[in-house]
Amino acid sequence: MSQGKIVGGFVAPHPPHLVYGENPPQNEARSEGGWEPLRWAYERARKSLEEMKPDVLLVHSPHWQTLVGHHFLGVPHLEGKSVDPIFSNLFRYKFSLDVDVELAEACCREAAAMGLTTKMMRNPKFRVDYGTITTLHMIRPQWDIPIVGISANNSPYYLSVDEGVEQMDTLGVATRKAIEKSGKRAVLLASNTFSHWHFHEEPDVPEDMSREHPQSYEGYKWDMKMIELMRQGNLKEVMRLFPEWVEEAFAEVKSGAFPWMLSAMGYPEIPAELHGYGTVIGTGNAVMEWNLEKAAARDAAVA
Amino acid sequence: MTVVSAFLVPGSPLPYLRQDNAPWQPLAAGYEKVRDALQASKPDALLIYSTQWFAVLDQLWQARPHLTGEHVDENWYEYGDLTIDLRSDTDLVGACIAGCADIGIRAKGVDYDHFPVDTGTIVANNFVNPGGKIPLVIAANNLYHGPGETEKLAAMAVEQADKQGKRLAVLAIGGLSAAYFDEDIDIADDRIRHDADDAANRQLLDALANGDRRSASEALGRFNEGTKADMGMKHLSWLFGATGDFKGAQVHAYGPTYGAGAAVVEFNL
Ligand SMILES: [Fe+2]
Repeated sequence: MSQGKIVGGFVAPHPPHLVYGENPPQNEARSEGGWEPLRWAYERARKSLEEMKPDVLLVHSPHWQTLVGHHFLGVPHLEGKSVDPIFSNLFRYKFSLDVDVELAEACCREAAAMGLTTKMMRNPKFRVDYGTITTLHMIRPQWDIPIVGISANNSPYYLSVDEGVEQMDTLGVATRKAIEKSGKRAVLLASNTFSHWHFHEEPDVPEDMSREHPQSYEGYKWDMKMIELMRQGNLKEVMRLFPEWVEEAFAEVKSGAFPWMLSAMGYPEIPAELHGYGTVIGTGNAVMEWNLEKAAARDAAVA
Repeated sequence: MTVVSAFLVPGSPLPYLRQDNAPWQPLAAGYEKVRDALQASKPDALLIYSTQWFAVLDQLWQARPHLTGEHVDENWYEYGDLTIDLRSDTDLVGACIAGCADIGIRAKGVDYDHFPVDTGTIVANNFVNPGGKIPLVIAANNLYHGPGETEKLAAMAVEQADKQGKRLAVLAIGGLSAAYFDEDIDIADDRIRHDADDAANRQLLDALANGDRRSASEALGRFNEGTKADMGMKHLSWLFGATGDFKGAQVHAYGPTYGAGAAVVEFNL
């Protein structure tokens, strides 16, 4: 068996509005569209993902928040109807997904060996969170690739941002080790919005895009600054500014998916590709890609 | 009198799912006392506020006439599943939604099957209202509402019940000190995580037991200043807003839920 590897990673935010705007058959609510630039960004990301030919998708979601340690979905098949607790008018989605339990267990073991508290979720009636589902639908609506679902441990909120990032760094390294030993081609998904300042009222027609714009100019400026650094491949600076970004843009990346993914990829100093940026009820959302395999091939060609 | 009984109860599923675990047993036993007292007060509806049902846009109200199914808590899934059997008093819920406009708060009902009802509401309903016989009015915890708005909302709900000539029991569902154990523990040894939290919890409970609304509000202010509390104890604000004044309370139980503080309290109206 050849060594497994992380082929790439995406920032893949989960506003349910994107699913609602697309009107897939799984979602009960119907729309006239909306948030097209972001949905088209996901279209580009879907093409990239297709070319990556992954065996497994690993997703870390802020909306499975766990108090005691880092949890992993550990049931081979999960299905049900996911209703968003905040935007239930928009998102009532019938999901059915397959879990790569073997890899999930390996990630869980590696993380425990590195000192983190971890747990396998074995309850077959578990309702998968809407963040995980939205991200997975937007990046791969066919649902034909097994997944590893990882919870967001509450440490960045309960302890401090720094301690949270430290745990996510460890979790990322553990994830990489497990993937390498698995022999599989893996793609990582950080299910995070950037600036999280949002409007407090929803338009009567939620998809009325004449009402959609950044809620906060500060948040917008932060997002642009951070995206530009990512596009330059300057992740050192991204991580140096991370706590400030979290604080001043109320960024959802605080919940850990983003630092987890960067750590797992080894903080690659390669330019990230921005597929698109847009706001959803005022929050900042970027669809971004780090294609590690392509970057390695480019390096090899140059050498 | 519109409000005929009022209680503070824990939203953690642990005392419900593992009633045999010694540190959690008193909370479960306390819940049984609440069930008896609540049933004896013969309410037409149960007014529920749980810290675990978050809203961020409008003030949400549960408007589904009957919700059934099974619920698995995202943290405590290994302890078992919870049966959902919730009936709404849709007339009163409708009146509350309309009444929000009068107090300047945008509101909306949610009426969807498979709506993710929070664990606290399900646990409390299962404990005190088995079979879901008493219809419910369930309000969300809007994260952007402070104690003032929360009290106002509860008072408005009572006013609407009064207009409909209904007797209300009030359930404030949530904990006390919020600090929990963030690593695996032997649940048989569960205790309040910090001694200072334990002392603050006891002080607050004393103040509830021996005070009235004014002195209890002051004690609550002090508690919130010194303790990381469950959602700033907005569930108590809800209860105060609903009951108006009260004359002390009976603390039926106090104990830990994985390090966090929880109590079962019956208010004397
Ligand atoms: Fe989110």
